[in-house]
Amino acid sequence: MSNQSALHIDPITEEIIQNSLQAIADEMFAAMRKTAMSSIIYEVLDMGTGIMDAKGELASSGAGIPAFVGVLDKAVKVVLDKFTAPGDIMPGDVFATNDPYYGGVTHLNDIVVAMPVFADGRLIAWTANIAHNSDVGGMAPGSLSGNATEIFQEGLRLPAIKIIAEGKPIAPVMDIIRVNSRMPDILEGDLWAAIASVRIGASRLEGLALKYGVSTFERAVASFMDHGEAISKKALAHLPKGTFTLSEEQDDGRIFNAIVTITDTDFIVDLRNNPDQSPNPVNTSRDGVMVAAQLIFKTLTDPYSPANGGTFRPITLLTREGSVFHAEEPAPIGFYYEIELRVYDLMWRCLAPHMPDKLAAGHFGSVCGTFIGGTHPDTGRQYTIVEPQIGGWGASMERDGNSAMFCGFHGETYNCPAEINEARNGVFVDQMALNLEPGGEGRNTGGRGIVMDYRLRADNGFLTAGYTRSKFPAWGVDGGQDGSPNYIEFRPKNGTPQRYAFVSGLVTNKDDVIRVVTGNGGGLGKAQERDRALVERDIRNGLITRERARDVYGA
Amino acid sequence: MTTARYRAATDVGGTFTDLVAFETTATGALRVVTAKSDTTPPNFEQGVLDVLNKAGVDPHDIGFLAHGTTVVINALTERKGVKVGLITTKGFRDTLEIARGNRPDFFNLNYVKPVPFVPRYLRAELAGRMDYHGHELEKLDLSALPAILDGFRAEGVEAIAVCFLHSYANTAHEAAAVAEIARLWPDVSVVASHQITREWREYERTNTAVLSAYVQPVAARYLGKLDAGLKDGGFEGSLFIMQSNCGVDSVEATSRIPITMVESGPASGFWGAAELGRRIGEPNILALDIGGTTAKCSLIENGQVRIMTDYWIERDRTSAGYPIMVPVVDLVEIGNGGGSIASVDEFGKLRVGPQSAGAVPGPASYGRGGVKATTTDANLWLGRINRDYFCGGTVKADMKAVETALTALGEKMGRGPDEAAQGIIRIANNNMVNALKLVSLNRGFDPRDFTLLAFGGGGAMHAVALGHELGVKKVVIPHAASVFSAWGMMMSDLRRDFFVTRLVPLSSGTAAQALETLFEGVEDEARAQFETEGVDSAKVTFHRYGKFRYQNQEHTTEVPMTGAITEAGLQAITEAFHGIYEREYTYRLSAPVELVGIHVVASAEVGKLELVAHPLSTEPASSAEKGKRMVDYALEGRHEATIYDGDRLDPGMVLSGPAIIEDSGTTVVIHPGNTVSMDAYRNLHITLGA
Repeated sequence: MSNQSALHIDPITEEIIQNSLQAIADEMFAAMRKTAMSSIIYEVLDMGTGIMDAKGELASSGAGIPAFVGVLDKAVKVVLDKFTAPGDIMPGDVFATNDPYYGGVTHLNDIVVAMPVFADGRLIAWTANIAHNSDVGGMAPGSLSGNATEIFQEGLRLPAIKIIAEGKPIAPVMDIIRVNSRMPDILEGDLWAAIASVRIGASRLEGLALKYGVSTFERAVASFMDHGEAISKKALAHLPKGTFTLSEEQDDGRIFNAIVTITDTDFIVDLRNNPDQSPNPVNTSRDGVMVAAQLIFKTLTDPYSPANGGTFRPITLLTREGSVFHAEEPAPIGFYYEIELRVYDLMWRCLAPHMPDKLAAGHFGSVCGTFIGGTHPDTGRQYTIVEPQIGGWGASMERDGNSAMFCGFHGETYNCPAEINEARNGVFVDQMALNLEPGGEGRNTGGRGIVMDYRLRADNGFLTAGYTRSKFPAWGVDGGQDGSPNYIEFRPKNGTPQRYAFVSGLVTNKDDVIRVVTGNGGGLGKAQERDRALVERDIRNGLITRERARDVYGA
Repeated sequence: MTTARYRAATDVGGTFTDLVAFETTATGALRVVTAKSDTTPPNFEQGVLDVLNKAGVDPHDIGFLAHGTTVVINALTERKGVKVGLITTKGFRDTLEIARGNRPDFFNLNYVKPVPFVPRYLRAELAGRMDYHGHELEKLDLSALPAILDGFRAEGVEAIAVCFLHSYANTAHEAAAVAEIARLWPDVSVVASHQITREWREYERTNTAVLSAYVQPVAARYLGKLDAGLKDGGFEGSLFIMQSNCGVDSVEATSRIPITMVESGPASGFWGAAELGRRIGEPNILALDIGGTTAKCSLIENGQVRIMTDYWIERDRTSAGYPIMVPVVDLVEIGNGGGSIASVDEFGKLRVGPQSAGAVPGPASYGRGGVKATTTDANLWLGRINRDYFCGGTVKADMKAVETALTALGEKMGRGPDEAAQGIIRIANNNMVNALKLVSLNRGFDPRDFTLLAFGGGGAMHAVALGHELGVKKVVIPHAASVFSAWGMMMSDLRRDFFVTRLVPLSSGTAAQALETLFEGVEDEARAQFETEGVDSAKVTFHRYGKFRYQNQEHTTEVPMTGAITEAGLQAITEAFHGIYEREYTYRLSAPVELVGIHVVASAEVGKLELVAHPLSTEPASSAEKGKRMVDYALEGRHEATIYDGDRLDPGMVLSGPAIIEDSGTTVVIHPGNTVSMDAYRNLHITLGA
């Protein structure tokens, strides 16, 4: 097919190019998933892929974690700002950043790899990939530590650097990355998986652009983003208008405030009135908060159409430099995701009363990131479990909440099967059950969290975790009960059980049990109004005793 | 000459029961007989006898009958199975409900998680533990079993599934539980997960056992009645049931574990593609089957279909679905067939599928009240399908309705009906190209090394355009393309695929010995199974595969392992792995390579349809010409095409595009610049030209 010079490219060609962008982002995702070495990537799918235009605007994103959808464009823009001299960005180059103060958005474990795409001798697009790496150095195994007070303690910083020049790996850089990790082989394998993914994407994009002509390709990409904006604007018109506010106390005593204003054309999130950044790693970059705003915005407008740069144009975000939501260097940011999630939940809760058909009661609302490491007793190799947990979701107007699902920041994310966990990590999983604690009762009930027991088989391991909604559980609405808390119960073989929400580097020994408990979601409506047949069903299923049902439901 | 002159395939669908019978005539020539009659629930065997009768095929004259049925997938999707009780390892009663926690529909906060097939009150636990090596950690405690079974009886349970942790590594606890259940409750249907799969992942294996239990009584009843009905009708030959792994299996084995039939529909066509490819010297094939509502594709490398075990039902962009860990041919299916409906969304974007017009009302052209334009309507409008010979002349094409539908669609895009029709074809083709890329490019294969083989009702209409787009070597349209799947069924072997998870580091020095023992164990088991079913074990052949990965990875690459396993052989395989890996993923690592599991294919021939080569004609193709008409080739514009009668074309004839070859079942669209020749088996080989 020849290049078309007409001002308007034919709409079918445009559509075919746009469909192909989606297919390429998905292919990049599949390649990464199949080659990664960490279960956090290939099983949990704590990763994302995307295609940016030449200026770094998001053109198309692949599957995976919704919380990574809006990250890659920010990283590419920082690379573009930094590499401005002629010859700085060449075909075959690959760049990397993991630093939130250099476009990395999240925390140092997440390495973004980005590759420029050239066709007919000019830069036409970028492919990029982000994934959680199990260990990037720093003061603690797994790199995350609640004790960090500066980002320097959280691992090796890659401030938007080149790692491959015109197809040739820059050996010293690769060596530095390797040597800084406690798990160099796995870091290297995962990094190469990411490189394979952006290379495959770049080669497909180049083919696509050459096939239809570079200018046709570029116009199709631009119009795709305009299409994204049109969809958002149209949906925005149907949302209730006004200014909505919420203040909420956090587990650690901080008060977070959100003001959300919705007009016919804009979605404005004002987070300026919030605490100063913390000396602990419970801060986030402004980019991270923007991702949270984009997520809730996408959910409220059109959850089904593709997400691209145009989709998010109606969002305005106001933050204050030096605050918890706009941390400045060198504030530590290891547990940024819990803070981002708090902002997301804050906006959700703030808007829920005004759009009850779209927004359910609160969910367990924490990534419940759990890091367990030590020596595999059968192989003698080091292992690190890095996993988010599944928990209960809130009741909606139509139905009870889902049980045992990943939080709103995750999507096509899979938990690790006990059989694989036991083989790979040399631990026992004694149980994986629904959480039967009270919480979430209502006309419609919240879904159930889980109770999972890890029994350790070797001495001298460690446990690190950071859970929120441990003091203030998922919120009920309309008279429904709140859910139940997220927590870890450490049950040493000798000694009394201890309960934690945040714990760093706790030493573990053989036959100690780490019990992960995630919360039930919030209920909706008064418990007394619950359908009797559903109460009977819950009793029969052993989810609630008859005595307690009588107390709560009056059954 | 025996009386068994037919080999036949019957296929029971929701509406129709189809028959394709291949008759070997006295001269050795092959005659194809097809017929269709109503499906007759619940006495499905009646429909099969009806369709034989309608075709004039006496059951007594059939030597080999292959049977394909949707009974399993229908029972699952319509929730018409039996009440199942689940017995599992202590601490894991909720695994079936917890599932994997994923949410494909990730921006939608009102996602609804799939409901487990067994409610919590019918999920029971027994104490007892194996580790991942298969060593017993805690003895199985069966003392609670009688009370559990009493509870199941009281609740009306008809089938029981048993799945214990790590049973893939050691089956003893599951086997003991099944034996005890059979002793305590001889009438109940019971299945253990290891009888179906020996791979790890407890949720997937549990769900597989549960779904098999759920359909077992239904499927066994169905097959029992079919077998008896056919025998009553005079059938004395062998009855085989089509499986999802491209093989057929006995009624007895299938009745015991029917879940292996779940995706048998598309399997036979892909098997046929592999088989035909071997015969015409095309071992590398991209196979495409376009039907009424979907298009399916699969890649065949070196004459081998790829069999996988990560199959899911009801899984799509909005639902996590349910996993079934059985061997299923590796395919990609998309909602694009002849009946796919075209629509324009509120932003002016044209979409084709996945909604389908179905049989009722059908495409607008059927004149049965369908008002929405479909792919078939677009093909008619553009002159690709002959409007005066629609559906082999059995349906009068309602071109007025087609025009109305296309005009309405075009108006939403500000275009006329011609452009709307071209748009439908281009979007439909693009959807199919993306699906074909998923099975080729995405898996590291270059389409230029492959031949595109297209069949099904719509395959031949789109094949050349797709072949151009992908840059394939050439396009082949098999003889009787619309019933090619049935031909594939005729060529199937009795086949079972065994997958066993086992971690073996290749650097251990004892790996070869351990592997050889593992393979032999599985092969002995397979032989014993076949023997109890009266299959001579000497006729069973085995193919061995290893699933390899770099240490710490999860996803594996399957590598063939020929002959006895030796340390030297493992070295060579490790080398092969690095190569295959690099081809697919652009890099290789110096990390240790490990084996994660094995795959054994056990097959026994059950006699195949012999293909007879026809003499090549010296007549020119023009003798089969039936006229000319204008055809719109979408991207390549409008051309006057020569129309050929496919039935009058003979082997050896050569023709060139623009042309259309049509017979009662198939329309082949030949683009300008293409050259077509018919081989001795009446297959069309299309070279695409520059």
